[in-house]
Amino acid sequence: MTLVLATLIGLLFAFGTYLLLRRDLVWVIWGLAIVSQAANAYLLTVAGIAVPGPDSVPVLGHGAEGAVPETADPLVQALVLTAIVISFGMTAFALVVTYRVYEEHDTIDVFEIGGER
Amino acid sequence: MAADALAVAPLLVPLLSATAALLTRRWPVIRTSVSVAGVVAYAGVVALVAWRVVVAPDAPGAVAYQVGDWPAPYGITLVVDALSAFVLVLTAAVALPAMLSSVRYLLAEDEDVYYHPLYHFLLVGITGALLTGDLFNLFVWFEVLLMASYVLIAFYGGVQHTRATLWFLVLNIVASAVMLVAIGGLYATTGTLNMADMAQRLAQPEAYGVAVGPVVGLSALLFAVFALKAGIVPFQFWVPSAYTAAPLPATALLAGAVKKVGIYAILRLYFTVFSEASVPVSLPGTAGDSPLAFLGPVLLLMAAASVVFGGVGAVRGRSIEEVLAFSSIGQVGFIAIPVAIAALVPPSAPGVAGLSARELAIAAALVYALNHTLAKGMLFLAAATVRSATGTSRLSELGGLAGRFPALSSAFMVGALALIGIPPLSGFFGKFLVFDAAVRADRTLTLAVLVGGSVLTIAYTTRAWLRGFWGERTAAVETADGDPGQVAVVVVMALGVVAVGVGFEVVFAFAEAAAEAATDTDAYVDLVAPTGGVEE
Repeated sequence: MTLVLATLIGLLFAFGTYLLLRRDLVWVIWGLAIVSQAANAYLLTVAGIAVPGPDSVPVLGHGAEGAVPETADPLVQALVLTAIVISFGMTAFALVVTYRVYEEHDTIDVFEIGGER
Repeated sequence: MAADALAVAPLLVPLLSATAALLTRRWPVIRTSVSVAGVVAYAGVVALVAWRVVVAPDAPGAVAYQVGDWPAPYGITLVVDALSAFVLVLTAAVALPAMLSSVRYLLAEDEDVYYHPLYHFLLVGITGALLTGDLFNLFVWFEVLLMASYVLIAFYGGVQHTRATLWFLVLNIVASAVMLVAIGGLYATTGTLNMADMAQRLAQPEAYGVAVGPVVGLSALLFAVFALKAGIVPFQFWVPSAYTAAPLPATALLAGAVKKVGIYAILRLYFTVFSEASVPVSLPGTAGDSPLAFLGPVLLLMAAASVVFGGVGAVRGRSIEEVLAFSSIGQVGFIAIPVAIAALVPPSAPGVAGLSARELAIAAALVYALNHTLAKGMLFLAAATVRSATGTSRLSELGGLAGRFPALSSAFMVGALALIGIPPLSGFFGKFLVFDAAVRADRTLTLAVLVGGSVLTIAYTTRAWLRGFWGERTAAVETADGDPGQVAVVVVMALGVVAVGVGFEVVFAFAEAAAEAATDTDAYVDLVAPTGGVEE
């Protein structure tokens, strides 16, 4: 399972990077989205099962006395939620800017849009 | 209200002013007044925090605030120590004049409707990044800061502005993904995101079952992200286009404060958090075996390249702000060189007057950062004033400004001299300490780069001066109509540059305290007092 996940995330990063290096801006945006999602998927995999205890699941620890069930580390899921929202917003903004660039330049070819000026 | 609640105040003030500026956007006079009052309040709160926490005779030196009273490492920790207070003061010192100047710089129509909320959100992001004691929160604050700066760069909505935004945006989204990977990896390795807890665990890896090896690679990934924020070569590509695209007063804040956040993050993470870790590998050219030691040579190389690249680019600049933007790349190299030297000297190497060589080098970087913030912020505001008055900032269309606007030109001269490092201006001490650090570390090649960079600084400031301020008056200058308010802001900032140079002892004492705070991992851990996480 670990190997499959690692390979998959690696492939996602590779594909995202490939798209990022394209001349077509829409592909670049796709690349951004895929790289961000690959990072999120990676983030999900970094933690395993947490040691059970009131400290690891504070919500459960506050209410019930006694046993706390073994659970997946909840912190990582909170992080991923935050990261997904942020990358979603950023990708949406990138799409808008791309559309604006298309309006101004009549092209989405990176080379035709040009450098700093 | 306990003293530790002060830590959250600099964050709340700009958040409130941003909201207030949004709510009052329909009424220009109220909107602008609210916004200006917000920045004044921000500067006041930052001064209060710096005084109560660090400078006052009975100050605790550092305070930690656990948001919602959740103990570290579960809750979000906000920390004010001398290092973050120092950079906060830098931010406030440029934020206030930049806002005052932008009130007159932006056209009276609806141009500034969203400028004010964005400006305050940028301050929120900077402040959050400086105060947070949690790695993931650092990521979130970076995104807050970036979101505001994207929109500020795209602010005018012209062809050049959207393009600059797009490149900046793409670079930073990739950097954010890289940062997430690094943070996730650090969490998997150390089992914590709280920076104090992480420092504690890395200092005693056996006790916590932490493998230190991966930290080296992960910290290198993080380092790339911070270097991008600071605009150090080879991550400098976005700087010139972004800085020339944003409204000039906002650029003053971007160059003056946002860049320093990258430097601050490097200092905080590598000198406070990772420095106690040791990896059983020794590489030639490195001192010690911490991730910090491996980073030193790389940073030194990057910083030296920044000094050269920025200097050469600035000499070729076509407009005042282009010269200043490239100069920012070079100057951030001057800040990064002592940081690299600090990483290269062994932590126990002796210095002078109770400071170790490492602390001396960090203090040099901080003093230089202060000088750069004041001088470069002022120069960008001076460029804004020239642009308001003449309608252009292209060097080919300018000339003879000195005769037309003597006060503004003198201030520009002061800023240029501060960048070069003429006593008694703030720049002299910055340059002096940076050279001192290089001599102490016995690095001849670095010294040569520093001298070369200084010569380039003289070259590009002289060129901007000769082209823009002396010579024949052009038509644009002849018909120019200077705004006394903007000129006054620039002149007051120039006086500030002189004041820092004259009253340097106070500033240096603060920088010393900040350098000690940056290297004192134990004090940082004790302050935040993480309970040790799951193991307990």
